[in-house]
Amino acid sequence: MKRIIKKSGLLIATTMLVLAGCQNDSASKKVDLDKESTGPVSFTLFSADPHPQWDKMESPVSKKVKEETGVSLEAEFDVAGGEQKIPLMIASGEYPDLILPKGNAAKLVEAEALIDLTDLIDKYGPNLKKVYGDYFNRLKWSNEDEGIYILPTSQVNQTYWAPGTGFMLQNDVVKQLGYPEIRTVKDFEKAIKDYKEKNPSIDGQPTVGLSLLADDWRIQITTTNPAFLATGAPDDGEFYIDPETFEAKMHYRRAEEKEYFRWLNHMNDSGLLDKESFVQKYDQYLAKVSSGRVIGLIDADWEMAEAQRALREAGKEERMYGMYPVTLTEEFEHHNFQDTGYLGGWGIGISVDNEDPVRAIKFLDYLASDEGQILQNWGIEGEHHEIVDGKRVIPEDEMKERNNNANYVKQTGVGALKGFAPPYGDGVVDSTGQTYTIASPDQIKDAYTETEKEVLTNYNVEMWKDLYPQKEDFPVKPWGAAFNIPVPGGSELELIMQKSLDIVKKRVPEAILAKPDDFDKVWDTFMNDLEKADVEKAEEEYTKLVKSRLELWGK
Amino acid sequence: MEIAKKKAHTYKPIKNKKSFWGSLIHQRYLYFMSMPFVIWVFVFNYLPLWGWTMAFQNYRPGKSMGEQEWVGLQHFIMLFQDERFYLVLRNTLAMSLMGLILGFTVPIVFAILLNEVRKKAFKSTLQTITYLPHFVSWVVVAGIVTKVLSIDGGVVNQVLTATGLVDEPIQFMTKGGLFWIIVTLADLWKEMGWNSIIFLAAMAGIDPQLYEAAKVDGAGRLRQIWHITLPGIRPTILVVLILSIGNLISIGFEKQFLLGNSTIVDYSEVLDLYALNYGIGLGRFSYGTAIGIFNSLVSIILLFLANGIFKRFTNQSVM
Repeated sequence: MKRIIKKSGLLIATTMLVLAGCQNDSASKKVDLDKESTGPVSFTLFSADPHPQWDKMESPVSKKVKEETGVSLEAEFDVAGGEQKIPLMIASGEYPDLILPKGNAAKLVEAEALIDLTDLIDKYGPNLKKVYGDYFNRLKWSNEDEGIYILPTSQVNQTYWAPGTGFMLQNDVVKQLGYPEIRTVKDFEKAIKDYKEKNPSIDGQPTVGLSLLADDWRIQITTTNPAFLATGAPDDGEFYIDPETFEAKMHYRRAEEKEYFRWLNHMNDSGLLDKESFVQKYDQYLAKVSSGRVIGLIDADWEMAEAQRALREAGKEERMYGMYPVTLTEEFEHHNFQDTGYLGGWGIGISVDNEDPVRAIKFLDYLASDEGQILQNWGIEGEHHEIVDGKRVIPEDEMKERNNNANYVKQTGVGALKGFAPPYGDGVVDSTGQTYTIASPDQIKDAYTETEKEVLTNYNVEMWKDLYPQKEDFPVKPWGAAFNIPVPGGSELELIMQKSLDIVKKRVPEAILAKPDDFDKVWDTFMNDLEKADVEKAEEEYTKLVKSRLELWGK
Repeated sequence: MEIAKKKAHTYKPIKNKKSFWGSLIHQRYLYFMSMPFVIWVFVFNYLPLWGWTMAFQNYRPGKSMGEQEWVGLQHFIMLFQDERFYLVLRNTLAMSLMGLILGFTVPIVFAILLNEVRKKAFKSTLQTITYLPHFVSWVVVAGIVTKVLSIDGGVVNQVLTATGLVDEPIQFMTKGGLFWIIVTLADLWKEMGWNSIIFLAAMAGIDPQLYEAAKVDGAGRLRQIWHITLPGIRPTILVVLILSIGNLISIGFEKQFLLGNSTIVDYSEVLDLYALNYGIGLGRFSYGTAIGIFNSLVSIILLFLANGIFKRFTNQSVM
């Protein structure tokens, strides 16, 4: 007995020790701005993303970077998104010199593991400042703490050459119907109806008119977010942000959207909506779409890309989809291309354990410089690209190698370090008028199928993008995108949002599947449920969040 | 899990301290040998109970015990005030009760039938076939079930419409009331063979002489089943029953999650999924823990109740 007590006492003692060990001594270090080492230096780096093309800094391009900066990296890439490693780092209090924590940055900042980069960038980061440009304010952490802890590594000023969301029709539909205008939901409905009447079956299977998907959160992508876009509002997550007053409103509570859902209800009633829409799982949806017998979709490109690819591989070009900027009526415009400005997001930070933060920031600054970016995108001059008439050109052989050699990045180092510093996006040009990245609209056009080209020609445009209202038609949204405003963990707002999402998942399908006469009744219940879940309180809280972001971003 | 027949204690309680220490020293090797297991149980089953303290805090990860904010029973009050909690509790209990009734009786019947099969090869083939679905993951089973019940070329609807039983294909997966039955039947299909193994094993342990004696006395097949097979596996039946009653509330959420869809969530959401969505999913570790504690307490109470009742009527118990 005594032994047990003794043993368990020992165990409890060890547990206590472990628990005590979890407390970090979080004495924040003051960065010495003038302390800088000379000569070669090596930094440890942790990235929460895998990097199968990591060259260990031994490729020609990375060697060149090493030459220029004197910095080499000993990198560790996690396959588990840092979910375990980062809390462990915090528990042990030992950090690598550079960290790319992905979604776990807040934990590191809370543990005071990252240094404030504001002064360092001010003194040693002219190129970083240049890349972020007017969006530099958006790097600030929060209203309470305006320090910069993370340098976002997503592309700045990216140009989008393809629409991300819209109403999709198989190319054969518009072709067979003689390229009718597809502008409003009525046009869309008519196209589906006419085509379905003419072709009751495709490849021997019954034709499906419009298929939606409600598998867990995906209901937002195909069913509820399009309600935003079809009624002239940009996608801001679950809340509509008034562009003038910045008041947030649960977007289902807008009167226009009720009419959009009424139209979906009508689609169901007239038998054009796939009866299995709200029952099918994602894989079933993809399988169905890949079979080529679903003629209409309302979806985001990334969600159905796999099916689109399958159709292409099967050689069913006419069953692939074109994307149209459909709205409820003509008074609305499709806001797919409205500019959110730079959204920032995940990036890189320098830890308190870094002995030489000045060299580290200089290293990142070099990667962000014109020279550094051209190295990462085009490679070394004379080796990976050539200058012809003052323009950068990639020789045909090299381009072929680039497209076909799966280990190109690892062998040459072109792009191996790209994820560690902020790059310019596609379409941004340097002082000589050439793009930083090698992507161009021609690349996209080259990838179109013959059928796609035919459809586009008949609509008198060159790209799908041209059908949409352009970026310049809309003002830049000063709050960015509301869905990327972090909601405080464990807050009441978060709870209400979860509750209302559960209500949405239940009531929206119910309303769409109801008899048209019952639609209003179901919709009223839906609205009442939301109110009961305290959605007004959530709107109030969300408005505060939007306003505080506007304040932080200095608009 | 040994069945202890209740009988009079044969040893004398040790009153005198000296003799306790005496026997401890005397049996020191036995104690010594059991020690690793005691430590094992303590470390992995009792130490984690320390985490229950989270339910009484506003727990934030990464902070030490002293820095946590204590909130008393707040999370429990919130839990018992949430309408949704009662809804998911209803679903959980309904599905587990249905599962208990069917998932318990059918394997016994199946085991008895199988036991009566005389041809060895046929018997073992049948047994293997029926317990194979146990190894199929729920993801696959859910896929099969939805496909079979689909209105878009599902077998069931094809049969129903072809035979003229219904005019329009029935959308089975959107009928809330049917969901419980679908889950129960899918579970039955998957686990029937597996669950019958333990009963078959118990039947194998029955003394063949009993059957011979019964035959001599003129008992037919049914009589033999009733008077020999069933009483022979009674202890096993009771243990399995008591243990399943103890597990009534913790039925997991895999099958409901995979088979459910947004139109019938009022029937498909179960306690564990609720704990996941509203607890850990929202970073509310304390709330999730409170649900976990509720779960454990209900399980323990059910187990003791069931055990107590059976002890009283049958003199058998698992404890």
